[in-house]
Amino acid sequence: MIPIDAYTCLKALHVACALLFVGGVVASSLVLATGREARARVAPVQRRWDRLITVPAMLGVWAFGISLATSGGWFTYGWLQAKLVLVVLLSAVHGLQSGQIRRLTAATDVKPLRAAALVIPSVIAIAILAVLKP
Amino acid sequence: MSTDRWRNEWLYGPEPIGSVVPTVESEQADLKPLQWLGIAAIAEATTLLLLVGVAVPLKHLGDWPLAVRVLGPVHGFTFVAYLWLLLRSLGAGLLSRSEAARLAASAFVPVAGYLTARFLTRRVSGRPDRGSAR
Repeated sequence: MIPIDAYTCLKALHVACALLFVGGVVASSLVLATGREARARVAPVQRRWDRLITVPAMLGVWAFGISLATSGGWFTYGWLQAKLVLVVLLSAVHGLQSGQIRRLTAATDVKPLRAAALVIPSVIAIAILAVLKP
Repeated sequence: MSTDRWRNEWLYGPEPIGSVVPTVESEQADLKPLQWLGIAAIAEATTLLLLVGVAVPLKHLGDWPLAVRVLGPVHGFTFVAYLWLLLRSLGAGLLSRSEAARLAASAFVPVAGYLTARFLTRRVSGRPDRGSAR
């Protein structure tokens, strides 16, 4: 049996939160990309999902990620700095989307974000940086 | 169908009653992102002040780096939370782009976060703000 240390636990929680967060961002992008009527129907459900799952997951990603980076002393490494930029970008996209979904629930139409196209390439780059640590 | 509704109520929320026309109460509720942003501005300003005013001098003058090691990540977390709440308010249409840019810049200046919080409190309570006239 493999002993479970604090680092492994933090890493597992960080990955779990990251999966939920990315799922939420992709779902928000899809809701905002659908037609006007569908958006108005789905927006309240997406807003609630955001509040209950995606936002706590994002806070978890940051809290566990910062703890991991501090414990490993990695803040000076280039791969982590690049990853941080991408995670800030993802968080920024999600912040804007979250506000837009709030507007949709108040029956105000919004234009989908162009920056949402960066979500998938950013997630791929984050995974490569986190695993390979180049 | 009603059983499904009960099962999914955590996500769908309670059944809407009556008209969906926004009321005065819902108008008030829509300013919640600005209230949260004000709280985050105070937290961000306080951690920045403690970092720059206490932890950094302790590290360089008192040879005690632990304060920076603790406060650095805490400030990083509050900064990202502030940025996310700022973008959510922008996405929700509660702030203009120039206001959002001004509030983002204020996050880099010690003490400016307190002025940001005052500006946001005035905005939420509906009192005129001297800065917004510019």
